[in-house]
Amino acid sequence: MKKKKFSMNDIMQSKITWAVVAELLILLVCFIIRPDFFSIKYQPATGMLYGSLIDILNRSAEITIISMGMTLVIALAGTDLSVGSLVALSGALALKFLRWDVLVYNTPGDYTVKPFILVILVPLAVCTLLGLFNGFMVSRIGMQPIIATLILMVCGRGLAQIVTNGKQFTTLYSPFRVIGQGSFLYLPMPIIITIVVVAAVSIFVRKTAFGTMVESVGINPSASRLSGINSRRIVMIVFALTAFLSGIAGLIMASRVMSNDSNNFGINFEMDAILAVVIGGTNMAGGKFSLAGTVVGSIIIRTIVTFVYYFGIVSEATMAFKALIIILVIVLQSEPVRQRMSKLGKKKAKGGVVHA
Amino acid sequence: MPDQYLLEMKGIEIQFPGVKALDKVDFFLNKGEIHSLLGENGAGKSTLIKCLTGVHHMDAGTILFDGKEITPTSPQDAFSMGISTVYQEINLCPNLTVAENIFVGRQPMKGGMINWKEINRRARELMNRFHMDIDVTRPLSHYSTAIQQMVSIARAVDIDAKILILDEPTSSLDDNEVKLLFDVMNELKSEGMGIIFITHFLDQVFAVSDRLTILRNGRLVGTYDIHDITKLQLVTYMIGKDMDAIFNLKRADVAPDAPEMLRAEQLGAPGQIQNVNLSIRKGELMGFAGLLGSGRTETAELLFGAVPATEGTETVNGKQVSIKKPIDAIMAKLAFCPEDRKRDGIIGDLSIRENIALALQARRGFMHPISLQEQNEMADKYIKMLSIATPDAEKKIGELSGGNQQKVILARWMATQPDLLILDEPTRGIDVGAKAEIQRLMLEMCNDGVSVIFISSELDEVIRCSNRIVVLRDGKLVGEVNGEDCTQQTILGIIAEGTQEGVSA
Amino acid sequence: MPERLPEKRQSLASRLLKPQFVMVYATIGIFILIYTYGAVRYSSIGFTTLRTFVNMFKDNAYYGISAVGMTMVLITGGIDLSVASVACLTGMIVAYGTSVLGYHPAVCMLVAMIVGVGLGLLQGAAIHYLDVPPFITTLAGNFLARGVCSLISRESISVSHPMIDALAGWKWYIRKYVDGEWVKIKPIAFINVNLFVFILMIILGTIILHRTKFGRNIYAIGGNEQSAKLMGLPVGKTKILVYGFNGFCSVLAGLAYLLEVKSGWNLALNGGELEAISCAVIGGTLLTGGVGYMIGTLFGVLLKSVIPALITFNGSLLSWWGKIATGGLLALFIVIQRIVVTASERRKEAKTKP
Repeated sequence: MKKKKFSMNDIMQSKITWAVVAELLILLVCFIIRPDFFSIKYQPATGMLYGSLIDILNRSAEITIISMGMTLVIALAGTDLSVGSLVALSGALALKFLRWDVLVYNTPGDYTVKPFILVILVPLAVCTLLGLFNGFMVSRIGMQPIIATLILMVCGRGLAQIVTNGKQFTTLYSPFRVIGQGSFLYLPMPIIITIVVVAAVSIFVRKTAFGTMVESVGINPSASRLSGINSRRIVMIVFALTAFLSGIAGLIMASRVMSNDSNNFGINFEMDAILAVVIGGTNMAGGKFSLAGTVVGSIIIRTIVTFVYYFGIVSEATMAFKALIIILVIVLQSEPVRQRMSKLGKKKAKGGVVHA
Repeated sequence: MPDQYLLEMKGIEIQFPGVKALDKVDFFLNKGEIHSLLGENGAGKSTLIKCLTGVHHMDAGTILFDGKEITPTSPQDAFSMGISTVYQEINLCPNLTVAENIFVGRQPMKGGMINWKEINRRARELMNRFHMDIDVTRPLSHYSTAIQQMVSIARAVDIDAKILILDEPTSSLDDNEVKLLFDVMNELKSEGMGIIFITHFLDQVFAVSDRLTILRNGRLVGTYDIHDITKLQLVTYMIGKDMDAIFNLKRADVAPDAPEMLRAEQLGAPGQIQNVNLSIRKGELMGFAGLLGSGRTETAELLFGAVPATEGTETVNGKQVSIKKPIDAIMAKLAFCPEDRKRDGIIGDLSIRENIALALQARRGFMHPISLQEQNEMADKYIKMLSIATPDAEKKIGELSGGNQQKVILARWMATQPDLLILDEPTRGIDVGAKAEIQRLMLEMCNDGVSVIFISSELDEVIRCSNRIVVLRDGKLVGEVNGEDCTQQTILGIIAEGTQEGVSA
Repeated sequence: MPERLPEKRQSLASRLLKPQFVMVYATIGIFILIYTYGAVRYSSIGFTTLRTFVNMFKDNAYYGISAVGMTMVLITGGIDLSVASVACLTGMIVAYGTSVLGYHPAVCMLVAMIVGVGLGLLQGAAIHYLDVPPFITTLAGNFLARGVCSLISRESISVSHPMIDALAGWKWYIRKYVDGEWVKIKPIAFINVNLFVFILMIILGTIILHRTKFGRNIYAIGGNEQSAKLMGLPVGKTKILVYGFNGFCSVLAGLAYLLEVKSGWNLALNGGELEAISCAVIGGTLLTGGVGYMIGTLFGVLLKSVIPALITFNGSLLSWWGKIATGGLLALFIVIQRIVVTASERRKEAKTKP
């Protein structure tokens, strides 16, 4: 096989390049304003490293995890709007199992009512089931994904309310605390979980033929079916996986605050996750996807939030900043601009040849 | 010769990255003539047309329209000058009514509002002129491709067009509809319209055109009067190589005791097609003949499970199988190249390698991936074997020409090493050279013991290649002819009469 | 040569029973079903009165106004997620301009109108010229407008101005003709500015969609954008204008909401874009574009309003059941819609095949 040569042109045209450049630019601005932005210190009290960069990675965990699934959904030319509601539901279920019977144990403490394994597994199982429901609606009933998942988006929070009877529980159970606040290898646990999830999904998708099949179904469902791909199964798996990952994100979130909040957990997560995927260079129309790009996209989103927070800008203005970054990225990624850029790149390349 | 051409394109040059798509091409169109534009795929026909309709911008040359120099900047621009185009693919809106598709963008108005009555009335008139009595207030998607094609022609001629470009308008039409189209074309010609006609069907060129222009590799071969050129000359000019390759293909021999490969009994899906009875032997090439809509494609889809059969039985290699979806058929070692390459065949954004590996991968399941090395070996093997024109296996299939795309799809199925390969219109819309190659491959596979079902609307082709021909009409299998002793006449007879008994051969 | 048939006059029934209307009928049917259920169940406590019916409309008028523009956007095959934020921004501009800066509300409304329509046009231009998916473009618009709201103020600003009060207080009582004079019906039912504007917008939307070239271009683009381009239709202009018009609708919706609550708040109408979208979708508009009717959207709004009304009349159900019911209804409705459409497609196939 011939080796693939990477030209300036390839790099200019690669979508992930722009995401990385954007991230570096924001970090550069941070560095200029506050040179200590990059400092990382060891805190013996918690046994964790500490600093803005660590914080960005830590806080981006939920979105990164969810957006791994969202990448695949979008590669199938779909969208999953229900992830935010599932985060809330997962948190509600976990707390429900930690504090099942509030009449007996009416004060929060370092205990769990149901076995800890159930506290973890039941939310994940319920989310996965609801993901299968999404997949069923899309693949069997033939609904557009955006509508199918709109249903759960609308009633998922209602379900979460019903699970906890509209109550907000708190807990002090220490094994549960580890998920969101513990540490491993000097790093906060959410970062570790994120690394594991990203690695697992990447291996599942790229070391098997699953990724290619997802792309194939996303690009041309009819041709894929005739080639023997069971697109229904692919769709079911992808939606179930996304919901499962939302469940994990819900557990992390609940563990961070050791509480549940059906109204506010995971608000706008679907938007952030979709955003992360798109910034990462995956086209909303489906087809080729990049998990690495999505990770960068998710980190970009969190960097902006941290940036706004760190520099004492009104926190509600985060929205406006997010908007600006989307505008920047979409302009850079848009076809006309990239074509112009690649023309520029070519001219430079030509010049180089002449020079040589 | 008139003193002035309706359209003069002189010294047209277009440079694409890496290739000169058009090199000093001249093209002249008279008023009131039908002028065919011929050439293999990649010869520059569509580039020339796109230059005229403002899609591509020329690097050199001039276009004179009615004696005045023009430089169309977009299809809209060309349209407003009076250059109207009908494309091979239906470029209409399926959700709008027939009437609206004809008039959208230039609706007659009354008091600032759209005058629907007028639209529907004029649309009815126009469709009547094409001898089509259809309800013009129904959505376009309600009608067959042929009618949709007629609607797009109706749209194109209703404006004050002086030039009408027909880009492969006949590939989805049956003979009657083609005749109807030719009537319309002749009528328009007599009204003084200049018509540029692009087609792959050489018979049609001779049936309708006054003059023809041949392009090859972006260069002009020449413009000829239809009476000054023979079919053989024409083909030779087009491909510039010996035609023996096409006309001297040898049909495969089937041993009389070859085992039965596939048998279908009373197979059917109500509402689609029913009572399909077929038997194919190992290494046999079976042709399906019939008009468009006769059930050729439906039968193939039924055998392959693209449309699940709800009644009857299917037996593959002596074992009864249940084929509910394509993967079941693939498991039973069947393969199916669908008719609509773009919609049902290629995965446009994936590479040639990935496209070739797809069906085999689907059979193995995604948990048993084909290693990259195997994929590369497979891709390289088929690229060489089928002489697919590409720099490497990583090129997106969507960027290949039609013929090469077809070869990749063929490779996809050959990679699964099928026992039965169903080819639905594998040669449609591709150039003569690639056509010959695909026919050769088909026959080679038969010699290797693969059974093939070959569906084509070009009867010549079917007769030339098949061992046995099944004739379909109105969704029924109406006759069967042994390939060696069948002629065009016999088959046309069966199609016309509807029964084999009707023809005494 | 086939006979030339004389012009057929189509009967009213055959004109109404076109497959393209099936979805709208499904919406209307389901609404009638649910309304009848409510009527049977709660007629004793006044569910069937005209007052309840009008109020149902009135409470959701601002979503309805927004759904008019949304329907058009959806028909082009696009989507607009910025509507709720733009409506919120409208409220903020008018409230801040009037209460804090002391300008006349009319001036503030004009400014809000320019901002809203301008943002809409800008989004449309980005979608068309930069070829960015509408979902992402308008998501950016959504964040931007919401961010600006927060920059204006993080507190709720109440509005008090004679003009606003007059608009909010305007009522047109529904009367009936009794013994030679028009008397107000009992229980009193009236139409307010919001409802009036909503109905006006539905009529205007219907006219635009069905009687103007602009409207037909919207359908053409939704049917097949590539074709529309090749047919020489002004695709870019139409798309940009549709988003502009939707911006206009968002501003009107924002003003309607302002009249209702008489204050501007930076978190108002959070998630409202999905309300507007689901009104249109329940009304039979396809998110893939090309299909949708204003009358369907009207009933979509009604259908969405009848559920909270039922929950209120029930009295014992908690409000989160509303969410679940809406979600469930959405599911039920879409499934039924699918079945109806598939069935009509099958019928069509059977008809075209010999």
